[in-house]
Amino acid sequence: MRLLQVSLRALLLYSLLLVLVSIPVSFFAIREILNKEVDASLVLHSEQFVKHVKNFEYLEDLEMDLVVFDQLSYDITIEPSEWSAERHFQTVSVYDSIEREFRPFRILSSSVNIKNRPYLLTIRMSVVDNNDLVIALAGVQIILILLLVIGVALLNRSLSRKLWKPFYNTLSQLKAYELDKNESIKTEQSNIIEFDDLNKAIGHLTDRNRKVFLQQKEFIENASHELQTPLAIFQSKLDILMQNSSLTETSSAAIQELEETVQRMTRLNKNLLLLSKIDNDQFTTLEKVDVSKIAIKLLENLKPLADLEYISIESKIDDMCVKANKTLIEVLMTNLFHNAIRHTTPKGTVKVYINDRTLKVLNTGNPIRMSPEKMFERFSKENKSSSSTGLGLAIVKKICDSCLYTLQYDYVNGTHTFSVVIK
Amino acid sequence: MKILIVEDERELVKSMAQFLRQESYVCEIAYTASEANEKILLYDYDCILLDISLPDGSGLKILETLKANNKSDGIIIITANNSLDDRVAGLNLGADDYLSKPFYLPELSARVSAIIRRKRFDGNNKISFHEIAIDILGKIVTVNNQAVDLTRKEYDLLMFLMSNKNRVISKNAIAEHLSGDDAELLDKFDFIYSHVKNLKRKLAEAGSEDYIKTVYGLGYKLTT
Repeated sequence: MRLLQVSLRALLLYSLLLVLVSIPVSFFAIREILNKEVDASLVLHSEQFVKHVKNFEYLEDLEMDLVVFDQLSYDITIEPSEWSAERHFQTVSVYDSIEREFRPFRILSSSVNIKNRPYLLTIRMSVVDNNDLVIALAGVQIILILLLVIGVALLNRSLSRKLWKPFYNTLSQLKAYELDKNESIKTEQSNIIEFDDLNKAIGHLTDRNRKVFLQQKEFIENASHELQTPLAIFQSKLDILMQNSSLTETSSAAIQELEETVQRMTRLNKNLLLLSKIDNDQFTTLEKVDVSKIAIKLLENLKPLADLEYISIESKIDDMCVKANKTLIEVLMTNLFHNAIRHTTPKGTVKVYINDRTLKVLNTGNPIRMSPEKMFERFSKENKSSSSTGLGLAIVKKICDSCLYTLQYDYVNGTHTFSVVIK
Repeated sequence: MKILIVEDERELVKSMAQFLRQESYVCEIAYTASEANEKILLYDYDCILLDISLPDGSGLKILETLKANNKSDGIIIITANNSLDDRVAGLNLGADDYLSKPFYLPELSARVSAIIRRKRFDGNNKISFHEIAIDILGKIVTVNNQAVDLTRKEYDLLMFLMSNKNRVISKNAIAEHLSGDDAELLDKFDFIYSHVKNLKRKLAEAGSEDYIKTVYGLGYKLTT
């Protein structure tokens, strides 16, 4: 749920509650006010009536006149009474014979003296029906709440578009951000302090991360580079040592093992250096590369090695020329071919197909135990003791990633298939 | 024959010089670019082994100086930076070969002798070891003037051994010399063994003595 929806929901719930409470409250308040007004007006009315009647006290037959008046008037009754009563109000329902319904009336009864005779004066006044009042109030409130909801929702929508635009802008940039590709995040200045703070913090964070990342990249390259010289010294000392004619069998074996080890280090180092060079975009020169020609040459070189394990190499190579970096294409193919030969069981088959834009390398072999994704990670080896550096496929993947080639792996019926679509 | 080693890593220089002196080359050493510049202007060398990254400047500058002074010394660039750009730049500036660190000393020795042969005899040359002779231009191997038919790998192997007479060459060095980067796939023993066996058989059939000796656990050696 979006932030604005949460706040909108709370807002609407609160206003609904308020409206629900306000209906009875305003009902009672309005009725009270109306009653007070009506009562005041009744009192005034009755006093004026009494004053008015008293003007006619000189009339002999006022009593008779009052009886007549009582019968003629609709809202006022005045009749002689034996006892004097306190002034009091009441609300009653009276049947209206014309409208044929009960209507509420407010009645004021009070005792008055006319010509020293007590009379009971009753004045009534029609008041607003409770039901009508409730319906009117509820109607008004419901219209109000509808307007409120629609208004707030619309306002919310346009606000979220306008106000949150810088936020969504930053968010989409963050989603698209890749440490090894993008320089930095370009945020736009908004007038909202929070967003500007956020952008500043994100900018700071990404800049810092990038700096660390670059330093690390540089470190790997420098480290591999610096290792080359000590490795060269090591190898040269072994070569000298080997010339010693008084070597025993054990020391010869030790030298041989040392040489294997230094060779492994050399290969590891070379591959690490290659990986970091690809990372550092040092293979940017593009030229027209005849992929088929390179493939044929590489396979020719590999044939004697494959023969040693009785591995047969079949190939169907159509012409393919691409604009690419030659070194990367060579490394890509060498590593795929090496990988295929290394993991083919003896007497197995390696097949290489090149057609259209696709390079396919198939080899028979046992299924891999690790997940295919892990296979492309650095230093992941099926056979820990093998002389492989565990970097070959990582380099393949790195090249495909950096050149935007699609790399696919499948294992069907005992055959591993790597296919690369070279764009 | 005079060789100049321009390299700032003293330990590496020591090994290189020691190895090459066994081949009766005269080795001079320059640890810095300025030393090297001084030496190349004063003397002529048959081969210069040139490290690209020196403490006081790039080896490529030295190449430029050589070229500007019309020196025809053979040059092998040696560098820790195995980048194509450096290689291309070096070769464009007149270097004859390129070797990246780390390298096998027998490999270095083979490259040096190839360059010296090319410079000295203007490509028209023969090398021999007792009754075995190689016409390098025609790539023809003869034993007692009788041609021996060798495969390319066997020829390369023989050349490699000839460039490192009386020295033990490890199987790794041979494997890398013959297969380059593909060597990592090899079970070196089997691979080298079959090539050596075939080479020995062919030379023996042509009437040569068995000069290729197996050095237990290490490799091979061409010796009488």
